[in-house]
Amino acid sequence: MSIFCDNSTQIIVQGITGKEGSFWTKHMVEMGAKVVAGVTPGKEGQEVAGVPVYHSVYRAVREHTADAAILFVPPRFTMDAVYEALDSGLERIVTIADGIPLHEQLKIRSAARASGAQVVGGNTSGVISPGRSMLGIFPYWIERVYKPGSLGVMTRSGSLTNEVTSMAVREGFGVSTLIGVGGDPVPGSRFAEFLPAFQADPETEAVLIIGELGGTMEEEVAQAMQAGIYTKPLVAFVGGQTAPEGKKMGHAGAIVTGGTGSVADKLAALETAGARVADRPSKVGALLKEALGR
Amino acid sequence: MRLFEYQAKEIFSDAGISVPRSELVRATSTSATVTEAASETGRVIPVDAEALAAEVGTAAGGLLEQCSRVVIKSQLLMGGRGKAGLIKPATSTDEAESLAREFASGPHKVRTMLVEQAVDIDRELYLSISANPESAELVILASVEGGVEIEQLAVERPDAISRIAVDINRGLQQYQARALAYELGLQQGAVKQFAGILNRLFLVFMDNDAELAEINPLFLTVSGELLAGDGKLMIDDNSLFRQPAFERTREYFDSDAEFEAAIEGIPYLQFSGDISLMCAGAGLTTTVFDLVHYEGGTIANYLEFGGPNYRNAGRAMELCLKNNSKVILIVTFGTIARADVMAEGVVAAINELKPDRPIVTCIRGTNEEQATETLKTAGLEPLFDTEEAVRRAVEIAGGDDL
Repeated sequence: MSIFCDNSTQIIVQGITGKEGSFWTKHMVEMGAKVVAGVTPGKEGQEVAGVPVYHSVYRAVREHTADAAILFVPPRFTMDAVYEALDSGLERIVTIADGIPLHEQLKIRSAARASGAQVVGGNTSGVISPGRSMLGIFPYWIERVYKPGSLGVMTRSGSLTNEVTSMAVREGFGVSTLIGVGGDPVPGSRFAEFLPAFQADPETEAVLIIGELGGTMEEEVAQAMQAGIYTKPLVAFVGGQTAPEGKKMGHAGAIVTGGTGSVADKLAALETAGARVADRPSKVGALLKEALGR
Repeated sequence: MRLFEYQAKEIFSDAGISVPRSELVRATSTSATVTEAASETGRVIPVDAEALAAEVGTAAGGLLEQCSRVVIKSQLLMGGRGKAGLIKPATSTDEAESLAREFASGPHKVRTMLVEQAVDIDRELYLSISANPESAELVILASVEGGVEIEQLAVERPDAISRIAVDINRGLQQYQARALAYELGLQQGAVKQFAGILNRLFLVFMDNDAELAEINPLFLTVSGELLAGDGKLMIDDNSLFRQPAFERTREYFDSDAEFEAAIEGIPYLQFSGDISLMCAGAGLTTTVFDLVHYEGGTIANYLEFGGPNYRNAGRAMELCLKNNSKVILIVTFGTIARADVMAEGVVAAINELKPDRPIVTCIRGTNEEQATETLKTAGLEPLFDTEEAVRRAVEIAGGDDL
């Protein structure tokens, strides 16, 4: 099993005829994801990688059963596209673009919460359950990162995900589902919100968190562990330990101001809650082995 | 994008929020060629401290006809200007002039100053609007114990801060503004004024796509008037495309390199150490920054050339070469930012720029076999382990000192 997406997840690609949309649709289909339809206004009747294209999500869901959407839409049109997917009843939505205006990030998360849907992103590589399905732009062909296995991974960064996950795979681990929540200040979904699903997933033995300075997402994970919502082993790497205070280093969401969001605070909270924390990516594999008694 | 105090106050004032009377003085150059060159490149012109001091004196003189004291406020984007001695009162033209001279020739080379009437203060309040990422709401914080950093107040006197959450779709409701004023324990006359200021600040926040709108201190004067004593407005960078009033010029940045990089969309931070980072991806670059410190090295600059810039290795290297770094450390692990394209870019940049310092490469990801070949052919040694690459760079940087 896996969480968020598997072989049965029926996917709509919004913005399917664009350069990125068509390129990654081909890859999603090739790796086995069930892409049922695509949407680009004005392009109904076309096909991309054998997938039929419709003018609107409304017209696509009238012809196909679907439960998830991935958006290859420019940042300034992302909110509109998310509303379109939500209004057609899609409950899992991944939005890739970097650069969504902050006030629209808030409105997207607010709308998702109101309708009980999960929006992942923006500014993310998406979600992948290696060997099963992908709503994202991952180089699944790089075996030393995207190997199927029993590790749930959650991350705020793309490039760092390759770096850290490769260290776990080097020690013999693989990935059940990897979720990139994205580097925006107000991502659609937060780390702790996926912990119940990882807890319930029999194939996920442990969770690896790839965090970053700033915000409170790592602290929320610690709270969920303290509350007993998540009880499996958890290993965390958090980048930005030596970043100077007040500088916007890393993602827009990553800024330390006046004693909140510092990496030291995050690591302390996670350790107190029973997580194992790595101070560098190369230690992640050994900590996972230790946590799982191998 | 953080605005200067004087810009925030102009926007507040236009929205109907009262601010103290003031006059803005900016450095200008008498040399036409310098001015022309500056406007072409956006570069900062040298400050003529004497001319600036004279103008500040004139401005202070005008204001002092109506009050007994003015405040000379350095317009810098750093926090804690008061503590750093960059905001000082003056009671005469001479005193104002000498303060201006001190600021202009001091370490910050202050080139823009706000000369402001001092007001008789009864209390200093705090008021701000920002986003709560977890609840996806806007949060309004207020306190009657303003004038200090809110983070400090939150630690020392958390009960002194009142807060309300606002649904961004519904907007601020009148009852919320009133309720907050009553929570603060304001007197009847001040309640209405405070609610009015909060309403206007909320409009400023929404209309300008702000990530933070803060008035600290918000003066309650002896005569019972509320005035914005300071203004902090941060505009969301992702919204600048629809906020044409805010243009990023050289004065918003600490160095030429940071300014040039920002205009070209290359994330760049200036430091003063030995190792130039030229990495891909925010998370990975930040982690390499950490690893350099763990290994005992120092950073000359932080630079990301991943994402939309991955074909732009030449410009990235040019920016790194502007530093007095001893080595350039290139670490990537890209997906869309293909390894082969980045390696070719790095080799082309080396051929064109002929860097005078060693380069350590650790380029991995999509098509990394080709990338490895490209680097080897060019006589570089491709590394595959981030920590090994970091250690190599730290060794090289340390070796030069021996």
